[in-house]
Amino acid sequence: MFRLPSPVRRAAAAPGARRAAVGAAVCAAAVLGVAACDGGATAQDTAVGNGSSFVTGSYGTTVVKAGSRRAAPEVSGTMLAGGTFKLSADRGAVLVMNFWGSWCTPCREEAPALGALARTLSGADVRFIGVDIRDDPASAEAFMRTFRIGYPSLNDPNDTVALDFGGTVPPAGIPTTLVIDRRGRIAARIVGPVSYNGLKALVTQISAERS
Amino acid sequence: MTWVRIPPEAGPEASAGLAGQQGAGAAAQGGAGAAGQGGAGAAAQGGAGAAAQSRRPPAGPLGVLGWLRWGWRQLTSMRTALILLFLLAAGSIPGSLLPQEGINPAAVSQYYTSHPALARLLGGLSLFNVFGAPWFAAIYLLLFASLVGCVLPRTLRMVGSSRQPPPRAPRNLSRLPFAVRHVTAVAPEAALESAARVLSAKRFRVRSGPGWVSAEKGYLREAGNLLFHIALLGCLVSIGLGGLLGYKADRLLVAGSSFSNTVTALDEFHPGRMVSPGDLQPFTVALDRFRASYVTSGPLTGQPSSFEAAIRYSAAPQAPMRSFVLSVNHPLEVDGVRVFLIGHGYAPTFRVTDGTGHVVFDGAVPFIPVETSGLTSEGAIKVPDADPEQLGFVGVFLPTAVDVGGRLESAFPAPLHPMVSLVSYGGNLGMNSGSPQSVYSLDTAGLHRLPVAPQPLAAGQSIKLPDGLGTLTYTGYRQWISLAITYDPGQAPALFSGVAVLAGLLLSFFVRRRRVFVRAQAAEAGGSVVDIGGLTRSDAAGGFHEEFAGLAAEISGYQGPDPGHDPPEDE
Repeated sequence: MFRLPSPVRRAAAAPGARRAAVGAAVCAAAVLGVAACDGGATAQDTAVGNGSSFVTGSYGTTVVKAGSRRAAPEVSGTMLAGGTFKLSADRGAVLVMNFWGSWCTPCREEAPALGALARTLSGADVRFIGVDIRDDPASAEAFMRTFRIGYPSLNDPNDTVALDFGGTVPPAGIPTTLVIDRRGRIAARIVGPVSYNGLKALVTQISAERS
Repeated sequence: MTWVRIPPEAGPEASAGLAGQQGAGAAAQGGAGAAGQGGAGAAAQGGAGAAAQSRRPPAGPLGVLGWLRWGWRQLTSMRTALILLFLLAAGSIPGSLLPQEGINPAAVSQYYTSHPALARLLGGLSLFNVFGAPWFAAIYLLLFASLVGCVLPRTLRMVGSSRQPPPRAPRNLSRLPFAVRHVTAVAPEAALESAARVLSAKRFRVRSGPGWVSAEKGYLREAGNLLFHIALLGCLVSIGLGGLLGYKADRLLVAGSSFSNTVTALDEFHPGRMVSPGDLQPFTVALDRFRASYVTSGPLTGQPSSFEAAIRYSAAPQAPMRSFVLSVNHPLEVDGVRVFLIGHGYAPTFRVTDGTGHVVFDGAVPFIPVETSGLTSEGAIKVPDADPEQLGFVGVFLPTAVDVGGRLESAFPAPLHPMVSLVSYGGNLGMNSGSPQSVYSLDTAGLHRLPVAPQPLAAGQSIKLPDGLGTLTYTGYRQWISLAITYDPGQAPALFSGVAVLAGLLLSFFVRRRRVFVRAQAAEAGGSVVDIGGLTRSDAAGGFHEEFAGLAAEISGYQGPDPGHDPPEDE
């Protein structure tokens, strides 16, 4: 059902294996009659982790064949610059939806390519929309000035947009770029920074579909 | 009435017990079988013998099948399970000694730059990704196979054994550990019939043959054993299920903001093998207020006494918001997911105006506590989109700032006199290359320190940066909490199985299987000679002695439903 044209496809993350291993260890402990106790954490254990504090996901591109695409949810919200957005209003055009944050380093890496591509492709046929997450509007606007991002962005402090995509092809890390076809169906998902040529080819191909 | 007490034979009973993995049930059964001459006992003893033999490599030529059988027996032996368990423990040691890709990728790349040759070697052995390494997977899969391979056949054997009728009565009952003989006036058939009636009334499982009756009780022990083994399998399966379908995640949440349970909103996400980002339960949590109370007097001054986070949550995107107070060990449960409060801290808020007059940053920056007595916290403010150059600040937040000999320290964890002290940098933050970096510290490689007099700021105070680079204002603070989000669908079944494991174990420990055999033959002087033998299947007969004596007395003195019979004569 899913075709994976991109060679950039990392192996699935390890934590699953780790959990299974822990599970096996717990089981074995049970066999030996050792009671395994899931100790409660204290309030002072700060969950800082690796410190980068966001999930980059497993980079990769997922392209869905026209026959098996799922409809994108209705997404609506407020723009950073004011005004409202409704996803269904862009029906008829290919929509490139980029989830980003000004603090996110891979987003800053892809921003020049994304901004340039939007200047090249944007028109009646192709629209670009950003979804700014975990950000303050001042930083977000500064980001858009820095990278000369010409397309608007939704301000999504509650992650409602990502939540709306749950159960379909949701963003699986930051950044994630979704390509929604002319009929409002999710055609592709790119997790990780996009490349100018890669995204251009993808969007051109999807916008060339006659449906 | 003459009681002939024959002391117990130590031989077959000594081997009984819940010891060996392969042979525990079989050995016990074999022990009883030796005395009971039962077909089941003999079969089980055969099984125990095979298990004992499997320890040695087979002698002589073996077919492929033979070798497979031998290998399987080796794998499912207790010794192998223990070795695998040890390997699992030993294998996870490098996981805690070396930086791991899944946990701290930055430290791994750091390791590669500082020890390139060694890192390549270690990386080749998957030591930077121990829990995802093929060799680690091999260990736990083998362990799982070993456990299932051990438990499953035993379970099947137990089903068979719990459904078995009592064995035929042995020929010579006087050789049993418990035996009595008495003479009665009734015919052998009637004596046996009444014995069977007594035993049935005592809820023994009774089987009769020509000249004998055998009865067995305590099948609950087998049921307990069965329950133990099935529950053990249930435990394995439910923990495996939790590993496949569950996930763990972390999120730091600043008061006044909210997040939804979606991958892009999480700080850390550790999904099970079969969890995809679309499977996350779509709840939203908003933090209204966080309050920590501290002891204000006595030797424990500054120790936290309570933590309370007033949150609102909704279980689904359109569902109404509900209020909840989150505290330590009082998690929020929503849609099967548990959200724990595991930490807290301060997030000072800043507004930064750059050289062009644009506000380029206006928000809260979580600082991480570096000590607990005063909650002195450290953090970094990164302003990558400042013009003409990127700005960065590292700072210390002091909830209760006091001057100790010219040095500021925090005297109390509550925000009684909050101040921030910052060091300012300009230059390249290194954020545009895409490589992940910590949000709590500054990579100063591309930065130069700005000549700003170090001066602690109170809320509302500003730093004016030199060369027209801009202004930073410390606008106040908010509190943050860190949340651990866990979803483990295997937890409830695992708990249930765990309880069942214990219940089964207790049953099999405390219920004894015991057998009573009765043989009657016509006496020369008329009437019959009745032999009653008893056997119990555990090392300590405790209690069976009395039970047997009572039964024997009842059988020998049994009047039967017909009161016309004479009472049995004493010898």
